[in-house]
Amino acid sequence: MEWILILSKAFWSGWAALGFGILFNVPPRTLFALWIGGAIGVMIKFSLLQMSVSVVLASFIGASVVGILSIPIAHARHVPPMIFAIPSVIPLIPGVFAYRTMLGLIKLTGTIGTDYNTILSETINNGAKTLFIIMSLAIGVAIPMHVMRKESAKNIRL
Amino acid sequence: MEQHKVKEAKELGSLLLDVGVSLLSSGASCSRIRITMRRLATAYQYDAHISIAPKSISLTLNIEDEHVIFNGMRSTPSQGVNFKTISGISRLSWEAVEEDLSIQQVRDKLTALLALPHYPRIIILLFVSLAGAGFCFSFGGKLPEMFIAFGATFCGLFVRQEAIKRKFNPYFCVFFGSLVASLFAGAFIKAGLNISFEHAFATSVLFLIPGVPLINSFTDLIDGNILNGIVRGVNALMFSMAIAFGLLVAMIIYNLN
Repeated sequence: MEWILILSKAFWSGWAALGFGILFNVPPRTLFALWIGGAIGVMIKFSLLQMSVSVVLASFIGASVVGILSIPIAHARHVPPMIFAIPSVIPLIPGVFAYRTMLGLIKLTGTIGTDYNTILSETINNGAKTLFIIMSLAIGVAIPMHVMRKESAKNIRL
Repeated sequence: MEQHKVKEAKELGSLLLDVGVSLLSSGASCSRIRITMRRLATAYQYDAHISIAPKSISLTLNIEDEHVIFNGMRSTPSQGVNFKTISGISRLSWEAVEEDLSIQQVRDKLTALLALPHYPRIIILLFVSLAGAGFCFSFGGKLPEMFIAFGATFCGLFVRQEAIKRKFNPYFCVFFGSLVASLFAGAFIKAGLNISFEHAFATSVLFLIPGVPLINSFTDLIDGNILNGIVRGVNALMFSMAIAFGLLVAMIIYNLN
């Protein structure tokens, strides 16, 4: 049952990646690859969460896989890797954590009551998660280029 | 001969600056801009020295004997993320190197490339709204929340596009988008529907997240373009705050907490 849920989340995340691709005006020949990329990233993330890996590490691994996939796709579709990689990792962005952080910060402007400490620690927790997940997404996307130390994806053969 | 060389350098310099500012305003990272401009300059046997500021690019062209032959600077037009431009220029730079195109040919191809149309507006609206619904599902929303996310994204993006057309400040465009999207989502909550508050609200504004500036910010920082990285990061932060502000105003209007 859990796996069906993960697969359907992956399916819908594919549409999220594709929608953002259209918003960023990607060349039409990359659209199908974007759908697949978005689905794979999210599938890896939720599968790892299922194995109780932390959410930061799971997002990082998901983004890294997308980053590595971006090299062969750049060759096949004749686009720079980032064209594929950026829309594909967008479904991994921690929207709910960011929302909770923002809401928590607003609550922190209120008067100090009995639950102020709880709100404070929850907000810091959500904020730290948001920050580290976004950092790990950016690093995951950038990894293949930096690990291979090549200036252009044209010189990388996988 | 000397005269001819100066004229060529002027044409190439102007072309390189156009390539650079198009990349910068379309959302390319600094290292990509630098690599592409250098690749083109090398193809015509020039040595390019490039400085990339947040909203402008300066360029000096040298010939082999370290003699400066062109100096120039150009500021970027303001326009949104456009990956078609980035991938087109990347292809063009390789073509120029591999097929020995003349400077004029590259210039013509660049003009054609920049004139390429976006996707039709209704397609953008529908697919981004679908993306909102998809987001909602992957964050654990159910069917009613997905429909709300779809509608909220559609209205919010429409308003944002209209605001951009009327040349509002970009942060205000995002604020309007966020406000309208969350007003849409909040209306269903206010109407007493039994839906998950958090999922509807959190995913209705996600289409506004500054994903490209955020990722580019970190890419620039890793590459050592610290200043550009900080500028892009602060820019992304400003957009995020505009989103938060829109949400906040909607919540105050509906008196939700």
